[in-house]
Amino acid sequence: MPNPPPARYRRWHAVPIIQQNWGSNRMGELVEFLRVLMTDPFGFIDLPVRQVITDIVNWIVATFRDFSRTYISPPVRGVMNGVQWGLSSVPPGAFILATFVLGWWAASWRVGVFSVIAFALIGFMGVWDQMIITLSLVVTAVFFCVLIGLPLGILSSRSDRFYGFMRPVLDIMQTTPPFVYLVPAVMLFSIGNVPGLIATIVFAMPPVIRLTNLGIRHVNPEFIEAAVAFGSTKRQILWKVQFPLAMPTIMAGLNQTIMLALSMVVIAAIIGAGGLGLEVYAGLERLNIGQAFVGGIGIVLLAMVLDRITQGLGEKAPGVRDRGE
Amino acid sequence: MIRAENVTKIFGSDPESAIPLLEENKTKDEIRELTGQTVGVNKASFDIQQGEVFAIMGLSGCGKSTLIRCINRIIDPTAGHIFFKHPERGEVDITQLDEEALRTLRKQNMSMVFQHFALLPHRTVLSNVGYGMEIQGRGRRDRQKAAQRVLDMVGLGPWGSSYPSELSGGMQQRVGLARGLATDAEVLLMDEPFSALDPLIKVDMQQELTRIQRELHRTILFITHDLDEAMRIGDHIAIMEDGKIVQIGSPEQILVNPRTEYVAKFVEHADPTGVITASTIALPLDSDKFVSGGERDGISYLHRQDLPNVRYGMDREGRLHDVQLDGQDVPVRRLEEVLEDESARPASSERTGLALTCGEDAVLRHILRSRLHSTLPVVVTNGDGRIRGLIDDPELINGILEKRGHIP
Ligand SMILES: Nc1ncnc2c1ncn2[C@@H]1O[C@H](COP(=O)(O)OP(=O)(O)OP(=O)(O)O)[C@@H](O)[C@H]1O
Ligand SMILES: [Mg+2]
Repeated sequence: MPNPPPARYRRWHAVPIIQQNWGSNRMGELVEFLRVLMTDPFGFIDLPVRQVITDIVNWIVATFRDFSRTYISPPVRGVMNGVQWGLSSVPPGAFILATFVLGWWAASWRVGVFSVIAFALIGFMGVWDQMIITLSLVVTAVFFCVLIGLPLGILSSRSDRFYGFMRPVLDIMQTTPPFVYLVPAVMLFSIGNVPGLIATIVFAMPPVIRLTNLGIRHVNPEFIEAAVAFGSTKRQILWKVQFPLAMPTIMAGLNQTIMLALSMVVIAAIIGAGGLGLEVYAGLERLNIGQAFVGGIGIVLLAMVLDRITQGLGEKAPGVRDRGE
Repeated sequence: MIRAENVTKIFGSDPESAIPLLEENKTKDEIRELTGQTVGVNKASFDIQQGEVFAIMGLSGCGKSTLIRCINRIIDPTAGHIFFKHPERGEVDITQLDEEALRTLRKQNMSMVFQHFALLPHRTVLSNVGYGMEIQGRGRRDRQKAAQRVLDMVGLGPWGSSYPSELSGGMQQRVGLARGLATDAEVLLMDEPFSALDPLIKVDMQQELTRIQRELHRTILFITHDLDEAMRIGDHIAIMEDGKIVQIGSPEQILVNPRTEYVAKFVEHADPTGVITASTIALPLDSDKFVSGGERDGISYLHRQDLPNVRYGMDREGRLHDVQLDGQDVPVRRLEEVLEDESARPASSERTGLALTCGEDAVLRHILRSRLHSTLPVVVTNGDGRIRGLIDDPELINGILEKRGHIP
């Protein structure tokens, strides 16, 4: 096909031709119609998805910008500042010692030793302060993920209808590429730590919801029957039986959430969140490969420590005793 | 204490559709074919007395678990009534209770022991035992003290701070039992509590339950698929087949007089020696196999047709006066006394030198054992000492092999 006609023409030209010339050269026009249908079927309909979404986002931003900047930003920023202040006021030596104790208690002495090595390396590479910022961002994001995700997870486990509503939402949240969150976050919250945190919270929350729901639903019905037989109320069953027994699963969700939060916090550097992510981003921008790698190594070390410790906590959870049988 | 009236449970999308078919006495399979509904329990009626152990026994899938769960409404029956003699409120119909009243009933009046223990794995043994009391709202201290007491009672005193997974199956079920007993509920529902245990531990637990029951006198509904277990533990037994109760009676009634083929099949392999009693197998005094041997000094004598050299003297009230072997008086003792003193077992040749009497409720096993002391027929007497009949070898053999009364 030489020289294709301009797009606007190509899109609709088959229809009027068929309408006008139906009587004179039916056969030829029908063949032409089928040819267009086979070779360029998408020309018939133009779904204005791009425009619709732009409109929706614009509407949301216009409607909620004030709301989000007055009611959502302050608590998020407040918690973030508090956590960061707390973490940065611990002297690095004491901090490292504390992670050793935590690693030992949560998992094993090996994990404790590993934490010491990892944090010491981060310090020696000269990105300690950046690490503290990243850790504060992660802790803050995870705090909100649990605060919102846990009740949603519990609700999902108790009502099939609510879970039916949550499922597609969670699917969308999890499959949307992380970069996509950044645009509306910036539009709603401007740039800086807060939009990065908001994007992180949204991106990292699904595992908590999903696994809380899963953990509670998978509690062996025998235990629930026993609780019922002794006259427990629904609430007592939830808090005395289901929740503790779901704890290992919930902890696995928390672990995933922490990992997702860490990865997102790094990406959020693009919109002005600080920390190790910024190190990577700035390094890449200036083609300073060394700087970018230092940031990257710091992120990996932090991720490994957080992973080992939360996994250890998960195995300490009370309900884990059930797995022995 | 608990009276069930036509309790019916049908599983499926439209349970009501099966009710009229039950009235027509259609079987479980027919109803399944016609309506697609599964009959769990089919018009079960029974009456459990206060302080007794009522055993329900039947094959797997016959609806025992469904029935026991209808009693505390973990499963809602489709039709029928369950009356419970509430200690304060008189008779209540459990099927009519609302959520709140039902929870109160489960908290205060009925507890449960499960086949697979269902101990909460994240709680210690002591806190598992205290679970029911926790739900009752009793204080922590009080709860722990009470839980420890019950734990001592089931022989697990020192294990309070362990976790269930650290205990053997038998020990776990003791904890389950302790949890059931701890709430002081009048009624204890036990769904195959010992089925998951090894045979030896199972017998242990049966004895333990009997011992505790002698002390506490709870009303116990006990589910089992083992007839011997039902007979050892139950004061009454109900036998279920395909959701229906086909016979209710004392262990002995069921053993001696099975009402259907199905029951007879079970009974065939049951051990009768601990169940069948003297009054069932004894050759009764009014049998024509007794021959009168005249009267002297107000004592009338008689002997068995097949044993003319042993004569029994009886006073006017019908009480045993003396026993004579070949015209010589032989000493007469109570069977229970003799059995207590195993060391005094005589040589074989001397076993005709003693006559024994036993009560009507002496079981076959004890009578058999007494043959080591005396080969003369055992005289069965009632509470007043009146002679009811004699048990000799033919009666014993018949009792064991045929599980029947005397040969008429
Ligand atoms: N939730 C349910 N839905 C449908 N059918 C059920 C349900 N529970 C039980 N049934 C059916 O009801 C019948 C009785 O089951 P039930 O569990 O009461 O038997 P059981 O006598 O306790 O057996 P077992 O000795 O194996 O415990 C069975 O045919 C079973 O398939
Ligand atoms: Mg069962």
